[in-house]
Amino acid sequence: MLESRHKKFSYYALLLPALILFLFVIVFPIGMSGVLSLTRWKNYQMQGFVGLANYGKILTDASFLKALGNNGQIVLISVFGQIPLGILLAYVLFRKFVKGVKFFEMMIFLPITISSVVVALLWNRIFSPVGVYTALVRSISGNPDYVMRISESPYFAMIPILFVLLWMHTSLYMVMFLANMQRIPKSSLEAARIDGAKEGTILIKIVLPALANVIFTSSIFAISGSLKSFDLIFAMTGGGPVDYTNVMSIYLYKHTFTYNNYGYGSAVSLIIVALSVGLISFGRGIYGHFQKKFD
Amino acid sequence: MKNDLSHGIRTLAYIFLIAFAFITLMPLAWMLSSSFKLQGEIMLHPMRLPLEPTIRNYMEAWRIGNMGRAFTNSVLYSGIGTFATVYLAVAAAFALMKFGYKNSKVFFSIFTMGLLITVNSVIAPLFFMETRIGLYNTGAGVVIPYIAFGLPMAVLLACSYVKGIPDTLIEAAVIDGANYLQIFFRIIVIVATPVVATITILTFLRNWNEFILVFILTSGDHMRSLPVSINSFAGRLNQDYGMQLAALVIGTLPMILFYLFAHEAVIRGFGEGALKE
Repeated sequence: MLESRHKKFSYYALLLPALILFLFVIVFPIGMSGVLSLTRWKNYQMQGFVGLANYGKILTDASFLKALGNNGQIVLISVFGQIPLGILLAYVLFRKFVKGVKFFEMMIFLPITISSVVVALLWNRIFSPVGVYTALVRSISGNPDYVMRISESPYFAMIPILFVLLWMHTSLYMVMFLANMQRIPKSSLEAARIDGAKEGTILIKIVLPALANVIFTSSIFAISGSLKSFDLIFAMTGGGPVDYTNVMSIYLYKHTFTYNNYGYGSAVSLIIVALSVGLISFGRGIYGHFQKKFD
Repeated sequence: MKNDLSHGIRTLAYIFLIAFAFITLMPLAWMLSSSFKLQGEIMLHPMRLPLEPTIRNYMEAWRIGNMGRAFTNSVLYSGIGTFATVYLAVAAAFALMKFGYKNSKVFFSIFTMGLLITVNSVIAPLFFMETRIGLYNTGAGVVIPYIAFGLPMAVLLACSYVKGIPDTLIEAAVIDGANYLQIFFRIIVIVATPVVATITILTFLRNWNEFILVFILTSGDHMRSLPVSINSFAGRLNQDYGMQLAALVIGTLPMILFYLFAHEAVIRGFGEGALKE
């Protein structure tokens, strides 16, 4: 009996510090958001409960919908840019088509160490009229007055940001896919090769099916990750010009901390959480992935 | 295996990889090279290596941007936050995986649900709470959220490792009269060294580059971390490109140096992180 009472004490001594911290910093504030999202604020003072009015206002605000659309573009570049490129890079390294696999892997993965803020400011400088990109275009096109105008376009302002996201995150997928490719049994690859299968066939018939689960999971995570992107865009454009590059998290930030409308901001944050949880549960429902890993 | 490859595929692979590596590294090389140039040279010859390299940009950025302070803050926030996350995660993993209590499964899934929650979605109430209880603009007010947001991933990684530690090891220690806390500190912590290394690397990198928590939960230069201080200081330097780029290099260099020494562990860490998800 004594042993079991001691065991119980040890259990909670080990578990509770982590659990309490987690509940206090992450779970409790979400509940608080739920309450706050029903309130209206003015001059740092709560004005009272307004029901679901905040949600209604957000979902009909053109600026929010613009931000949602821009998040959509980020999703597209993640799922159709970063992931396929990451698979291709991983496959080339996995099959050792080149010498110096380790060297290439190390070099391509290097941006993972750099903070989004640095990346943002660096690319702003590169794209600026005195940047190396501008200099390059000028010397290739022979137009000495070239400057980049696309970031001022209401329709295409996201393109430089999308490019930088591609630059920054593709290698993460490369490393993730490579780690999973290395778990594919060697024998199945050998067998295919002896049967005279072409590289394309090996990729499509053996490697991709073996990765299907991972590709699916990382797509889901890429989608929910895209909903969160803040640092890079905030440092690069702050959502501007106007709201051309606004995303939901910057919209949230502005309403909460610039206009000090905590109620409205909390409602936005819950919409983001709901979208993210919704998308992930959707994926989870299909694969039952987490449970499988746990058992 | 390599001999069978057609020439064409191999050439294409080389072109693809070299192009990708070039696009990855060129901006960083340009940042480094330009940071040694003065304003005039950057404007006139953006693509050339510096003719008269100077470290003036660095000295001014360090001094004007008060980057020494930001650097110290970054080391403290990231270091303390990482240490606590790793300790709490391994402790929780031992409890959840090896004690055999029924409620462990519930607690485990509570932690994994944390993977879905981002800093953004709780930042408003967090700010609200911290200003009310006096944690706003304090070191603890930054480090506590760092620890909490590090936990979901860390607990997940630690659990899947600790689960693989043989039960016989623990049973033998129990028979020898060790209590569970002794087992944790004398056995589990030692046996779990590989996963501790992985979690430390992933958490430290994440903390080091973290932005929004410090940005919202502190005010004033003396509490800022490197990314936040670089954003407010270098982001304003729209006229002094050399100093701006020098500030960016200062913010980047520590992690790149670390990466050059430990890249295998970093790559393995991210690979493992992916396998567990």
